[in-house]
Amino acid sequence: MSETTITADAVHEQSFIDKAKEFVFTIPVNKVTIKDLLGFEKTPRNNFIAVLTLAFIAMFVVGVAIYLSQGHHAYNVTREHPWGLLIAVYIFFVVSSTGLCIVGSLGDVFGFKDYELISKRAIFGSIVTILAGFAVIAFEIGHPVTMMIYNVLSPGLTSAIWWMGTLYGIYLTFMIIEFIFLLKNDMKMAKIFGLSGLLVGLAAHSNLGSVFGFLNARPISNGVFYPTYFILTAFITGIFIAFIIMGIRYKNVFPEAVKTMLTGLAKIQALLLSILIFFVTWKMLTDIYGGMPNRADVALHILGSWTFWAEVILAMVIPLIVILKDFGKSHVLLVWVSLAGMVGIFFMRYNLVHDTQLKPLQMMKIREYQLAPEWIHYFPSGTEIMISLGGVGLCIAMYYLGTKLFNLDSNH
Amino acid sequence: MARYGMVLDYKNCINCKACEVACKEENGILLGADKHRIWVGANDVAGEWPLLDIVSATFMPSQCQHCDDAPCQSVCPTNATYYDENSVVRVDPDKCILCSYCMNACPYDARYVDDRTVTVDKCNFCTDTRIVRGETTTACQNTCPTKVRTFGDLDDPESEISELLRTREHFSLKAHLGTKPKLYYLT
Repeated sequence: MSETTITADAVHEQSFIDKAKEFVFTIPVNKVTIKDLLGFEKTPRNNFIAVLTLAFIAMFVVGVAIYLSQGHHAYNVTREHPWGLLIAVYIFFVVSSTGLCIVGSLGDVFGFKDYELISKRAIFGSIVTILAGFAVIAFEIGHPVTMMIYNVLSPGLTSAIWWMGTLYGIYLTFMIIEFIFLLKNDMKMAKIFGLSGLLVGLAAHSNLGSVFGFLNARPISNGVFYPTYFILTAFITGIFIAFIIMGIRYKNVFPEAVKTMLTGLAKIQALLLSILIFFVTWKMLTDIYGGMPNRADVALHILGSWTFWAEVILAMVIPLIVILKDFGKSHVLLVWVSLAGMVGIFFMRYNLVHDTQLKPLQMMKIREYQLAPEWIHYFPSGTEIMISLGGVGLCIAMYYLGTKLFNLDSNH
Repeated sequence: MARYGMVLDYKNCINCKACEVACKEENGILLGADKHRIWVGANDVAGEWPLLDIVSATFMPSQCQHCDDAPCQSVCPTNATYYDENSVVRVDPDKCILCSYCMNACPYDARYVDDRTVTVDKCNFCTDTRIVRGETTTACQNTCPTKVRTFGDLDDPESEISELLRTREHFSLKAHLGTKPKLYYLT
């Protein structure tokens, strides 16, 4: 009897392995040679992007080499400002990933037909951006291997970082499976994994907001604002990238179906940007009102920084004006505005990380000849900048590879 | 099993920094201004001569507050920060991944990176250096010329620290954050 069970189990196991093998081997992948990769149209713009991408990847290699030899001394992070540019860039990438996941889900999860033609690109983009984010954070976390071991063996369940990291791991898995089903044109399974990935991604992303929101010692960040704001800004980032992706795909000459989709996305973007401006205005007003120490003074300091205004002008004001001008019909202009918008989004992430740490927690001087600390100063080091740009290079390279390996256009 | 805490009669502090030196010596803390487990904060005298505000010149010795509800412990993703059997907040360098979340979450700026282990380090009430060999004082307390610091078991009603807390008015730093610090400043 037991022998029969063992045999049945073995057969079952074998059939599962066979099914898994079949699932993997039937993924539609194009054969790509080095010649194919180098066979892009040699226009000045393409050449420029190619050289820039290679330069960024070279910077990544150099930056990582410096980091591996000098550790965190290669960065300008300090005891008072332990989180620097790389944390901001990691957030930038994972926000992009969550945003692209939301945009991708419009078509294949929620069934909005107009948006189906970007689903595959957006979902692939979400995988690429989160991988770039992981590549950057791997060189910010002091012990990434220890992290993987003790995240499992000794999980800190009260830690927002634990939840964020773990949920993002699950999210990435769901996104990859969803992408495979999209490639296989199995829309039913893609929808199941897409919805699961979206829900886990939103949970992960709001947890990333709570990493800052839970900081009781930092009144400028503490509270419900960031966990919700992160989801809103993710959607906005996703739409900016959707415009860029479509601009590259169609070389800014859009077919009618794409135009309809882009106009729709632009209208959603106008609504989201209006909500964002409303949120940020009230955040600033409530921060300043009443002059509460450690909050009002920090908010006023933020209002005086150019990086805050770079964020407001590039990521909020200009895109909103351009969309409202003709309700999202200037598609080509919007591609360029979205590119500038992503620069604004970068400043948004940088500000979020830096502004949280602006106010020193020790307000007395602790050594002779020192002035009592007023504001914490930080400017990223060359190594930090190189690794960050490297992340952008990796992202572009992985996306380009994807366009060659997979059919990213809609099957419909 | 004790519940260790410390009382600081901070108005007796003369800013000689012997405590900082003793801490570095006893616990092998690396040299460098940023590498410190404990410190003495100083407010300069405010005002212009001759109207100097002499009461503004205060010295505030400080360190990890060994909070009963420590934010650094809550935020640690791998439980590298933990409470030991004597309620001392400690870091296990084997589990620390150097995400620096604890450094950001600690309201007292009591944590720094030890360049040898490349992990976060902080005051542990000399647990692994003095307490383990049977001493009953910390290095900073032992060396203080004006007896600012009193270390002891808060759960022992007969201890000197319990006696001081019963008989002297005291306050804790940033108590409004609900961290329940185990460092008490006598007024």
